[in-house]
Amino acid sequence: MTFIDLLMLGFSEAITPANLAFCLLGALLGTLIGVLPGIGPTATIAVLLPITFFLPPLAGIIMLAGIYYGAQYGGSTTAVLVNLPGEASAVVTTLDGYQMARQGRAGAALAVAALGSFFAGTVATFAIAVAGPTLSGFALSFGPAEYVSLMVFGLLAATILASGPVLKAIGMILIGLLLGMVGTDGATGAERLTFGAIELFDGIDFIVIAIGIFGFSEIIANLERSGSEGVKLAPLSRLWPTREDFRNSWGAVLRGTGLGTLLGLLPGGGATLASFSAYSLEKKVSRHPERFGTGVVEGVAAPEAANNAAAQSSFIPLLTLGIPSNNMMAMMLSAFMIHGITPGPTVLTNQPEIFWGLVASMWIGNLLLVVINLPMIGLWVKLLTVPYRLLYPAILLFCCIGVYSMNNRIFDVILAAGFGLLGYAFRKAKCEPGPLLLGFVLGPLLESNLRRTLLITQGDPAIFVERPISLVMLLATVALLGLMILPAFRRTREEAFQEEEA
Amino acid sequence: MTITKTAALAAILATTATAALADWPADRPIEMIVAFAPGGGTDIMLRTLAPFLEAELDTQIPVLNRPGASGEIAYTALSQARPDGHTVSSLNTPGFLTMQIGRTLRYEPADICPIARIVEDPGTFIVQAGSDYTSLADLVAFAKANPGAVSVGTTGVGTDEHLAMLQLEQAAGIDLTAVPFGGANEAKTALLGGHVAMIGLNVGEYTTSDQGSFRALAQFAEERSTLAPELPTAKELGFDVLMSSERGLAAHCDVPEEIRARLAAAVDTALANPEFQEKARQQALPLSFKSGADWQADMPVRLARYTEIFKLIEGGQ
Repeated sequence: MTFIDLLMLGFSEAITPANLAFCLLGALLGTLIGVLPGIGPTATIAVLLPITFFLPPLAGIIMLAGIYYGAQYGGSTTAVLVNLPGEASAVVTTLDGYQMARQGRAGAALAVAALGSFFAGTVATFAIAVAGPTLSGFALSFGPAEYVSLMVFGLLAATILASGPVLKAIGMILIGLLLGMVGTDGATGAERLTFGAIELFDGIDFIVIAIGIFGFSEIIANLERSGSEGVKLAPLSRLWPTREDFRNSWGAVLRGTGLGTLLGLLPGGGATLASFSAYSLEKKVSRHPERFGTGVVEGVAAPEAANNAAAQSSFIPLLTLGIPSNNMMAMMLSAFMIHGITPGPTVLTNQPEIFWGLVASMWIGNLLLVVINLPMIGLWVKLLTVPYRLLYPAILLFCCIGVYSMNNRIFDVILAAGFGLLGYAFRKAKCEPGPLLLGFVLGPLLESNLRRTLLITQGDPAIFVERPISLVMLLATVALLGLMILPAFRRTREEAFQEEEA
Repeated sequence: MTITKTAALAAILATTATAALADWPADRPIEMIVAFAPGGGTDIMLRTLAPFLEAELDTQIPVLNRPGASGEIAYTALSQARPDGHTVSSLNTPGFLTMQIGRTLRYEPADICPIARIVEDPGTFIVQAGSDYTSLADLVAFAKANPGAVSVGTTGVGTDEHLAMLQLEQAAGIDLTAVPFGGANEAKTALLGGHVAMIGLNVGEYTTSDQGSFRALAQFAEERSTLAPELPTAKELGFDVLMSSERGLAAHCDVPEEIRARLAAAVDTALANPEFQEKARQQALPLSFKSGADWQADMPVRLARYTEIFKLIEGGQ
């Protein structure tokens, strides 16, 4: 069968009333949990997994996939309207999205996010269809040595991404690395920094830290304000982006889509890494980096396109090799297994209707999401007028439910509350928590891959410069370091952030 | 007076106990604690089994995930629950046994009594399909000539794969290099990318993987698994390596003998149900029922064996 025949087969499967209904259900559910901070797609899919027993395989998988990419749309809504990441991948969207909302341009931010996501979703779906089997080879050539170099580069880049003094950013990264060390040491089985608490054996959950530092501390900070009347809304002149918004954002959407599609392929990559990277890339290529963080449309368009592209392209290693690249994909793998389907090249040849049906449904799902999100933007914007005394207890409740439901234990909720206080202290000290999160995520990956590399080579570090991908990344790191030390660059960076603060 | 009171109290208590036993299990749901996160092998297995047990026992069985510390959190919860037969938990070996070696536990392992074993999934070593190692003997010969050069992907220290690797080192007199990964899927990716020479997997994980990309060298059970009848055991090949992961259910040992026996009988009946067997086949579960008493009787020997192997780890191997 030719490519067109296969695609037609996929659409004929995806467009049956039942599959269409499950696609819509997944997209709606995804948007809902995306909007609610604290309740993520991983927890939702875990809960719904047993239900897919009773569905035909394709319908179940279509619905679960819809939840995942639907959450990427919904997450941006909360980020823009309440300055809370509805999803981990929407953390950077808060930086410019919320500022846009404060200037009365919430509608434009949401529309750009939705349209950018749709474009990225379309491209990523096409990438799965066309290049899936070939692209997955790229992910495989990423061994432990390549990861080490990528992480080193990522951590250095994080210090540039942060606003404020470099020293503070490095301090935050170090705290993140320290927090990432908590738990059982994978190479020896020894306990580290657990203080004898059994709940810390497996380390601290990303969700606990993210909800604490972003969710709880936001609410604490808002207690300082006297009024409980909600955000003062600037008059919403238009919900549609201006011609200028479109002109400014199309390049960002293109770059975000490309970067997101690539990063989604990497094991351990995915929507969160993609949105962080897209934002820092955008800041670097921009002619006016100093305006980032004040409500520029590129700062919303790029990460939103990137997280949706990555959410979709992370299906490529799963569908073509049966390898889940992140914990979301591990859940999807379970969904396949429940029906006795083993994702991999054999599915592409023996059950093409599964692969192509899913690909086609992804595109349909993205179309549905634009329809769900755009006309309903007015409804979401109304959320802004809900008084804080109603909105914040509700958010607090959802955060607690989300944290508790991960492991069914109250310890995590208390821990998140502790991180809330810490996050508040960081706010007061004007320390941006973004680098902390990145250090927390990348630190354990860096450590375990470094140890793996040296175990495999029996202690010979030459491998880092012998392998081409690793070498290129290390050279890029050195170049970046050189730039940071150069006086001219330092001055520009400082000026940029001074303007931002002013 | 006091004696009468005490006697009366004892009588009441006895009646309550009998009544509780008589009502069991219909009076309240039976909580099933799973020691792993939702979506894992043990979780899916028990969630598949629960409706069959519900039908058999005519009660409700909600599944509650208490993941963490390789099962210790779940076992601690089980040992602290009231021993009235309304709380059961998953039980996995070798994890349950190896955590007893040189680790201070928050529960008393002797309080945990197996109800029934459901699955026995032997370990196996996997190489790339195009690898030069076509048999375990090839690999052993290469490792003899190049000590430490063969890297083996495991899922951490003291896990099934690591223990199997240590046994092979001892049985064949070779030196391998263990490389810990975050999970079976990470290890598979590393093998496919050629970053490690060999990885350990369970036979169930191997048969559900893409068989065209991998080649299994041997399985580590006493007898060949029903899932892989073609694959020789290490013993057949002349290497004394025994390693299986077993999954089942457990209850507190203070739960009355009759209740435990009824739970075990319900598991046995469910496993014989063709509808359940079909679901197990789809999930590649190598069903292997064993009564709680028989399973418990196996454990001291295995614990002794694992303790021996752990001494090797401490010896710097």
